[in-house]
Amino acid sequence: MKVKPKRRLTLEGKKAITGYIFISPFLIGLAVFFVYPLVQSIIFSFNDLEVTTTGYKLNYVGLGNYRRAFLVDPNFRRVVVEAVTQMITDVPLIVIFSFFAATLLNQEFKGRALARAIFFLPVILTSGVIIAIENSDMLISMARSSFEEEATTGAVASVVQALELRRLLMQSRMDPRFIGYITGAIDNIYEVITASGVQILVFLAGLQTISPSLYEAAIVEGATGWEKFWKITFPMISPLILVNVVYSIIDSFTRPTNQVMQMIMDAAFKESSYGYSSAIAWVYFVTVMLILGVAVGIISKRVFYQE
Amino acid sequence: MVKVRIRLKQRKPNRSLSGDITNIVILIFFGLFFALPLIYAVSNAFKPLDEIFLFPPRFFVRNPSLENFQDLFILMQQSWVPFSRYILNTVFITVVGTVGHVVVASMAAYVLAKHKFPGRSLFFSIVVASLMFSYHVTAIPSYLIMSFLKWIDTYYAIIIPQLAYSLGLFLMKQFMEQIPDSLLEAARIDGASEFRVFWQIAMPTVKPAWLTLVIFVFQNLWNTTGGTYIYSEELKTLPFALQQILAGGIARAGVAAAVALLMMTVPITLFIITQNNIIQTMTTSGIKE
Repeated sequence: MKVKPKRRLTLEGKKAITGYIFISPFLIGLAVFFVYPLVQSIIFSFNDLEVTTTGYKLNYVGLGNYRRAFLVDPNFRRVVVEAVTQMITDVPLIVIFSFFAATLLNQEFKGRALARAIFFLPVILTSGVIIAIENSDMLISMARSSFEEEATTGAVASVVQALELRRLLMQSRMDPRFIGYITGAIDNIYEVITASGVQILVFLAGLQTISPSLYEAAIVEGATGWEKFWKITFPMISPLILVNVVYSIIDSFTRPTNQVMQMIMDAAFKESSYGYSSAIAWVYFVTVMLILGVAVGIISKRVFYQE
Repeated sequence: MVKVRIRLKQRKPNRSLSGDITNIVILIFFGLFFALPLIYAVSNAFKPLDEIFLFPPRFFVRNPSLENFQDLFILMQQSWVPFSRYILNTVFITVVGTVGHVVVASMAAYVLAKHKFPGRSLFFSIVVASLMFSYHVTAIPSYLIMSFLKWIDTYYAIIIPQLAYSLGLFLMKQFMEQIPDSLLEAARIDGASEFRVFWQIAMPTVKPAWLTLVIFVFQNLWNTTGGTYIYSEELKTLPFALQQILAGGIARAGVAAAVALLMMTVPITLFIITQNNIIQTMTTSGIKE
C-alpha cells in the first residue's frame, strides 16, 4: 500500500511564517499610521485643500503647487540648499564627538551614571513643557537674543577670531575647503554638542555589548590600546555608526528649528494652504531621501556584522 | 559586584594616572556645557518671585525658599479634576506605550536581523524611509485616520502610533545583528520555541540596547500633551495640565520654574536607574569555538 507523504513545511517556510508573525504588529502600525498618511499627502500636494463645514474639499491643480515652490517662492530653493550645507557640516562632527564622548563615559570611574545623565540632559531639556518654560524665562531669552545679536549685527568679535584662525591655517598651506570646514565647525560647536545626546547613548549601549573576552584575548596576544580600538571596538561598533549617521541626518533635517520645516509648518498652519505645504514637504523629503540613500549605501558596505 | 571589582584590579596596570586625569578633565569641560542649564533650572525653582524678576538676572539663588512649590501645590488643589488624575493618566500612557513599543519593535527587529524571508529588505527600506516623516507633516491625514477609527478622545490615538516608532526598530535591528547565530541555534536544538529564543536568549543579550530604547520612548511619552486628540478633561495628561497652569502668564513665572524642575526630575531619575542596571553583557559568552 502506498502511503501518501504528508505535506510538511520546510524549515525555510517555517522561518518565513514566524518572521511574518513577529513582524506583523509593527507592520500593521506602520501601514496605518505611516503609509496611509503618506499616500494622502501625495494626493494633497497635487490639490488645493479647502476646509468646509463637513470636512474638506480637494480642487485639482496639477503641478501648480510644485511650480510655485520652484518658480514663484523666492526663498524655498535657497533655504533647502542652506539646510543641506548645514547638515553636511554638522553630521560628521556630531558622530565623531558623540563617539568620543561615549568612549570616555564607558570608562569605569565613580559617578559614571551621573556623568552620563549630564550628557543626556540636552535631550530632556529640549522637550515639551520644559522648553516652553525656558522660552518664557527672562535670563535665557536675554542670553539668546544677545547671541542672535552677535550673530547678525555685532558679529565682529567672532568674525575676527575666525579670520585669525583662517590666516593661521592658510599659512600652514591647507586646502581652503578644509579650512572653511574647520572654522564653520568652531562657529557652531554649541549646536553640535547639544545635538549629540541620543547618539552618545546609542554608542554607549553599543560599547557595552562588546564582549570583554574579545579584549582579554587581545591583551593576552599583546595588542596595544590603539590596536584594540581599531581591530575590536571600531568594527564591533560600526553597525551603530550607521544608526547614528542616519539619526543625525534626519534629526538635522527635521528638528523644529530647521528653516525648511518651519516653512512647511507655516504654509500648513499659518497660511492654511495645506496643498502647497505637502508639495514642498515632498520636494524636501525626496532630496533628503537621496542624500540618506547615498550615505547609507556608502557606510553599510563597510559595516561589520558578526556571523 | 565581586566580579567587577576583580576586573578593575586586573585592568589597573594598563592605565596611567595622567591618562585618567586627562579623561576627567575633558569630561568636566564638556559636562559643564551640558550641566549649566540644569543648575540654572534648579536654582531658579528656589528663587522667590522678586528674585526671578531681578534685573540684571542672577544665575544663583540668594535667599532660597519653597514659595514656588507651595504656590504650585495650591494651584493643583484648585484644579477642576483632581490633580492626581492627570498624573495617573500620564503614568498610564507612558508605561503602556514604553513597554508595548519595546516589545513590538524588538520582535520585528529580531526577525529582520535573524530570519530570512521574502520582503525583508523591502520592509526594512520602508522603515528607514518612514524615519524621515515627522509628525507635523502628516498631521491632517493622521487625524482623519483617528477619527475614522473612532479613536479620538481615547488613549489609542496616542499609544498605538507610538508602537510603530521606526527609530526603535532600526536601533534594535542593528543590535540584534550582533548576536551570534550559533547561540540561537543552540537554543533551538535544545527545543526552545521561536518566541522563547527571542525572549530568553536574544533579549537578555541586547539588554543595554533596550534599556536605552526605554529611555528614548519614555522621554517622548512623558511629555505628550495629547493636544489634538484628547478633549475630555479627565483624560488629559500632566504636561497639558501644567501648560494650563502656566497659561496664567508672567505672574506664574515662579510656579513655572518649579514645574520645570519637577517635570525633568522623573526622566533623569529613570535615566540614572537604567544606566546603573547596564552591566557589560556577554554577547559572545556561552560559546566555545
